[in-house]
Amino acid sequence: MDFSYSEEQEIFRKSVREFLKKECPKDKVRSLEEDEKGYDPETWRKMAELGWVGVILPEEYGGVGGEFMDLALLMEEIGKNILPSPLLPTILCSLPILEYGTKKQKEEFLPKIASGEEIWTLALTEAPLATYEASGIRLNARLEGDNYILKGTKIFVPYAHVANYLLVAARTSEEKDPEKGITMFIVDAKNPNIKVEVIPTAARDKQCEVKFEEVKIPKDNVLGEVGKGWEIIEFILQRGAVLKCAEMLGAAEAVLEIANNYAKERVQFDRPIGSFQAIQHKLADMLCEVDGLKYLVYKAAWEISVSSPSKLSISIAKIKANEVYQQICISGIRIHGAIGFTMEHDIGLYFRRVKASEYAFGDSSLHKEVVADELEKYKPPNPWKEE
Amino acid sequence: MDFKFSEKEEKLRREIRQLVKEELPEGWLIAALEEESRDEDWQFAMSMSKKLAKKGWLTMHWPEEYGGKGASMWEFIVYREEAAYWGIPGVSMGVSGVDWVGPTLIRVGTKEQKEKYLPLIASGEPDGVWCTGYSEPNAGSDFANIQTRAVREGDEYIVNGQKIWTSAAHRARWCWLAVRTDPNPPKKHLGISILIVDMKSPGVTVNPLLNYNGYHIFNEVFFDNVRVPVENLVGEEGKGWYVLMGSLAFERGSVGAAGYGYCRRILDELIKYAKETGLIKNPIIRHKLAERLVEIESLRMIAYETAWKISKGTIPVYEPSRDKVYYDQVAERLAITGTEILGAYSQVDPMHRDSKWTKLRGCIESLYWLFPGLSIAAGTDEIEKNIIGRFGLGLPKSY
Repeated sequence: MDFSYSEEQEIFRKSVREFLKKECPKDKVRSLEEDEKGYDPETWRKMAELGWVGVILPEEYGGVGGEFMDLALLMEEIGKNILPSPLLPTILCSLPILEYGTKKQKEEFLPKIASGEEIWTLALTEAPLATYEASGIRLNARLEGDNYILKGTKIFVPYAHVANYLLVAARTSEEKDPEKGITMFIVDAKNPNIKVEVIPTAARDKQCEVKFEEVKIPKDNVLGEVGKGWEIIEFILQRGAVLKCAEMLGAAEAVLEIANNYAKERVQFDRPIGSFQAIQHKLADMLCEVDGLKYLVYKAAWEISVSSPSKLSISIAKIKANEVYQQICISGIRIHGAIGFTMEHDIGLYFRRVKASEYAFGDSSLHKEVVADELEKYKPPNPWKEE
Repeated sequence: MDFKFSEKEEKLRREIRQLVKEELPEGWLIAALEEESRDEDWQFAMSMSKKLAKKGWLTMHWPEEYGGKGASMWEFIVYREEAAYWGIPGVSMGVSGVDWVGPTLIRVGTKEQKEKYLPLIASGEPDGVWCTGYSEPNAGSDFANIQTRAVREGDEYIVNGQKIWTSAAHRARWCWLAVRTDPNPPKKHLGISILIVDMKSPGVTVNPLLNYNGYHIFNEVFFDNVRVPVENLVGEEGKGWYVLMGSLAFERGSVGAAGYGYCRRILDELIKYAKETGLIKNPIIRHKLAERLVEIESLRMIAYETAWKISKGTIPVYEPSRDKVYYDQVAERLAITGTEILGAYSQVDPMHRDSKWTKLRGCIESLYWLFPGLSIAAGTDEIEKNIIGRFGLGLPKSY
C-alpha cells in the first residue's frame, strides 16, 4: 500500500500546474466562455507539444507512453485550474482506437491525435433522456453496399463544432437486448450532411447537438466489431468517468482552497470569519469530503493503470464525485456570502460546471444501479464456510 | 501509488480469519463497546485476549522487547480492520492498556514501570486491564479544566477528586489518571500530571453510569485520599499535557480502519438480509445500500491514508480527527439505513441478541443506539472539527 506520487508524477503535476497558471488565468477562462470556438488553438498546440494529448499513447504513435494514472493526475490539475479545451473528448476517442482499432486505423488516426492536429469527440447520448443506458442509443445506421448510412441526432456532444472526427454510437440492428446491435463509427465531422448546433449551457462549455442527415460512412470506419459496440462504450465510459472524477476532484480542491483563504482574510465583528465555528466547521466538513473523494478516485484510476479496472470502484468514485463537487461549491459560496454569487468571483466558474460534470459518463442514479447490481452478486467473506 | 496489500499482510488476514473460524461461533457478530457491559461477555472477551496474546497479536504494534511483534503499521491496520469486522472480543482489553498506556509507557515510562506493567498487558492478563481517568464533571471537551488534585506527601501523592464517563473502570485493575499537581499554573493546561493508580487502592470508589439502553459501559470514579506511590508518576510532574498530546495522534491512527471494519461488516449483513428478504429489488433500498457502500469505502481510503502517513514516519496532525468525524457520520447514516431496512423489527431491544424477534443478532439496533455516543466519546465531533479547522486548514482558534 503506497499513497505517494512517484518522482515523475510530482514533476509532471508541477509542470502542468505551472503551465496552466501561465496559459489559462481565470480571465482567459471567462473570455473562452464567450469565444465561438471555446478553446485557444495556441494553448492547444502547446499542450500537444507537451505530450498531454498523447500521455497514454505508445511512442510509435507519437505518444508519451505514460500510464492511465498520469492522465488522472493531469485531469485533476485541469479541474483545479479550469481549462476549457477539447482535451478529454479527444483523449477518450484515442483510447478505444488504441484498444479496438485495426492496425490501419491506429496508424491513420493516432499520430494526428497525439500531435494535436486533430480534435475528436464522442457522440453517445440522445434525446429524450440523454443518459448512458444502452437503450438510449437510437441513431440508426443501415448498410447500403459498402457504406453505412447514419440517421439521427446526438446531444451534449462536447466540442463537435470544432471537431475533425466524431466517434459515434449507432444502432445497426434491433435486438431484444439493447446492449446488442450497437456499432461504433469513426465519422468525418466535416461531412456536409452533419449539422452542428452549440447548446447554450450554463458552463458555456460548447456541448453540441449533432444531426446526422443520411451521413454515408465507409465500412472501414467501423471501430471494433459490428453489433458489439456496447463493449467499446463501456470501455470509454469507465475511463471517461474516472477522468471526469479526477477533474471534479481538482475543482473541489480548488474551491475548498478559495473558500478557506477567504475565511482567513474576510473580517467581520473584528475577526476573520474563519474563527467562527459556523464557518470553520463547514470548512472542516469540506476538507473531510474532499479527502474522502480523493483516494476513491486515485484507487479507481490506479486499478485501470495496472490493468484491473473495477466497475465497482469506478461507480463508487463517480457517485462520490457527483455529491462532493456540488456540495463543496454550495458550501463555498455560502462561506463567501454575496460576493460568491457574482459573475466577477471565480467560485461561480466552478459552480457553473457542476451539472456538466455530474451528467457526464453517468449520473449518480445510474452508478448507484451499477453498485447495487454488484452488491447483488457480491458474496461476503465467510471463514466458517471456507475450507 | 499502489492500493493493494502485500502478501505478508494478506497472509495475516487469512490467519485472523482462521482464528475466527476456530474460536468464534458461526455467524458471530458483536457491536462495538458492548463487551464490558455484561459479565459473560467480559469473561469471553478476556479469554480471547489471552488467545490473541498467545498469537502475538494483542500488542503486535509494540516493539518485541516489550512483548510486541514490531508489526508494521499495515499489519496492524489489517489486524484492527479484521478484528472489528468479525467482532473479535478482547482486542483492546477495556481500550486503554493496549492502545495508549502501553505505547506511552514505552515512550516515556521508567524502566521499572515498563517491566511491571507492559508484560501484564501484552499477555492479556486481567491485571493488564486499564481504564483512563480524563473527563470530569467540569472538564469534558475542556479537558485542561481538570480539578482532581494530587498533593505530594513524602514518597506519595494524595489524590482527591472525581472522574466521569470512565469506560471499563468496573473491569480495570489500573487507572491511567490525569491529575492536577499545580493548582495555580500560569496556563491551565500546565500543572497536569499522569499517575498510575491501582484500582484496588483504599479510597477508590466506582459507581456505574448506565447508558440509556441499560448498558454498563462507563462509570463515575471517586478518589478520596487515595495514596499513590511517587514512582507511579508517568513522565515529569506538571508535564502531563505533553505526555498525552505526544501520543494522541498515534493512538488514533487505527480508529478509521477499525471503524471501517465494523461498518463494512454491518453493511455486508444488511446486504445479505436484503437479498434474503427480497428487499434488494426495492429501488430505494438498492440506492441506500449503494450510498452507504460509497461512504464506507471512502472511510476506508482516508483511514489507509492516515496509516500510510504514520508508516512513513510522519506524525498525522488533523487526519485522525478527520477519520473519527467521518466514521461517526458514516456510522450514523448506516445505522439509520439499517433500521429502515429492518423496519418494525428495528424496535427490538438489542440487549436480547438471541430473541426470536431479533434480526442480525441485534447489530443494527446496537449501532443505532450507539452512534450518538460514538460521536461524543474520545473527542466530540465538534471538537474534532475544531482540530481539523486549526491544524488541517490553518484557521484561527475558534473557541
